[in-house]
Amino acid sequence: MGTVRDLAADIATDVESLLLFSPSGAYYDGCTDLDVPVIVVAKENSVGADTFVELPLEFNDVRERVQFGIEGALEKGAIADGDTVAAAYSLEGEEIETISRVRASEEDHSGVYDMFVNSRADPSVVRDVLDIAVELGKKGQKGKNVGALFVVGDAGKVMNKSRALSYNPFEKSHVHVGDPIVRVMLKEFSRLDGAFVISDAGKIVSAYRYLEPSAEGVDIPKGLGTRHMAAGAITRDTNAITIVLSESDGLVRAFKGGELILELDPEDY
Amino acid sequence: MIGWESLPADVPSRLWMAAAVLIGGVVLGYLVGAINKRLLRSAGVPEVIEGTGFERTARNFGTSTVSILGWFSVVFIVVVAFFAAMDIAKVSYAAPLWMLLVGFLPQLFVAMAVIFVGMVLGDKAELATSERLRGVKLPESGLIPKVVKWSVLYIAALVALGQVGLATEALLLLLAAYAAALIVFLALALRQLLPAGAAGIYLLLNQPYSIGDRVEINGKSGIVQEVSVFTTAIEAEGREHVVPNHVVLQDGITRVRD
Repeated sequence: MGTVRDLAADIATDVESLLLFSPSGAYYDGCTDLDVPVIVVAKENSVGADTFVELPLEFNDVRERVQFGIEGALEKGAIADGDTVAAAYSLEGEEIETISRVRASEEDHSGVYDMFVNSRADPSVVRDVLDIAVELGKKGQKGKNVGALFVVGDAGKVMNKSRALSYNPFEKSHVHVGDPIVRVMLKEFSRLDGAFVISDAGKIVSAYRYLEPSAEGVDIPKGLGTRHMAAGAITRDTNAITIVLSESDGLVRAFKGGELILELDPEDY
Repeated sequence: MIGWESLPADVPSRLWMAAAVLIGGVVLGYLVGAINKRLLRSAGVPEVIEGTGFERTARNFGTSTVSILGWFSVVFIVVVAFFAAMDIAKVSYAAPLWMLLVGFLPQLFVAMAVIFVGMVLGDKAELATSERLRGVKLPESGLIPKVVKWSVLYIAALVALGQVGLATEALLLLLAAYAAALIVFLALALRQLLPAGAAGIYLLLNQPYSIGDRVEINGKSGIVQEVSVFTTAIEAEGREHVVPNHVVLQDGITRVRD
């Protein structure tokens, strides 16, 4: 007869590394002399870990969070394809209370890590834009759902693949997506039709852009509207990524290389 | 009611005066100390110096920088009152020594205050610089905050020593050499950056070209991807040219419109 402890031991047997999600300093110190390499996945490396994967946002869905950590670790070469790893994280609150056993595989690769790290734009710019889209999705404009389309990175090419629908309110301005004023401003401007164009370094280049990519070979799920089609298509034609807030279902989606790579519900964050 | 006449005859009245001055000094010192502490608090000093090494050391001893400064003014006033009292009491056997000390005291206290402020400022400067450099993941960048801190401390020490009238020529010479080295170093380091930055400010303000325009600069043509203070990035066929902004102004730009 085994005990619950044995069950837990089974989960942790023969793992090749341990992924710690947002550990506290004391927790991390307790894990440093384990027999397997420790990889810390957190918003910032406050514990000073050697192998660290930055979490750009707090995924509420644990599967997405673990998936992101594994993709990050694979990318960094900290773990190899096919490794069995243990992931320690917290389901609720701050303290780590759950350990699970996961097989790292490069095949079921969601591309979220890739979107943040291997985009033309800075990871912090991608994160800021995602934040803005999520916030816009949560609050809407005067209680009504709004839609928005942000094209991030490769702005020069995007500008050449699009035309102005009206005068550009951001002309001769130097507004960066990370500026606090942007949250207020974009909420007002989200009434405008067309896309926002944001440069690699995070400068808002233009609003009111009508994207004119060729939509050939763009494969996005059926049922999404013209906004998503335009968003998907522009990422095929340029090296930009797009972040779209849907007006009809309120979800935030991201596209890269003509493919949908992230879908999240703003209400969960 | 006790009159002057009823006091014991063998205690001269000036001793009583001296005692009164001493007590007055202690009370005044206490009041000034309390007011000082309150002034420093309302000026936001505790928030400004939070996290500096000095403040942390002070906290370890169960006190704080503000209380130390408060006590400092108390001690100063009490010591002055003590010497005044001694003078009134005409304790004559060491008068010359006291006169020397009294003349020297304000300078000593100013010097101590300078050192004190220098230490706190140095810590604060170190903290601010390391905060600023946190994004730079270079092992060498840990040295810069230390250099800043010790520079501030050095200057504070120099001012303090000058205050008490010690010979500081050699130290001054060292400071001058240090400053000259710093200026030469900065001039050399910024020789390229400064013109680029000045040109960049013009480009950002006037925007003769903006992101998405097709331009030709210095034989390199492409689409403008980014204009920052120091550089302009133009991209063509998978190559991104990063051109320093002063080159843009020197050589001019060609906007391609077709």
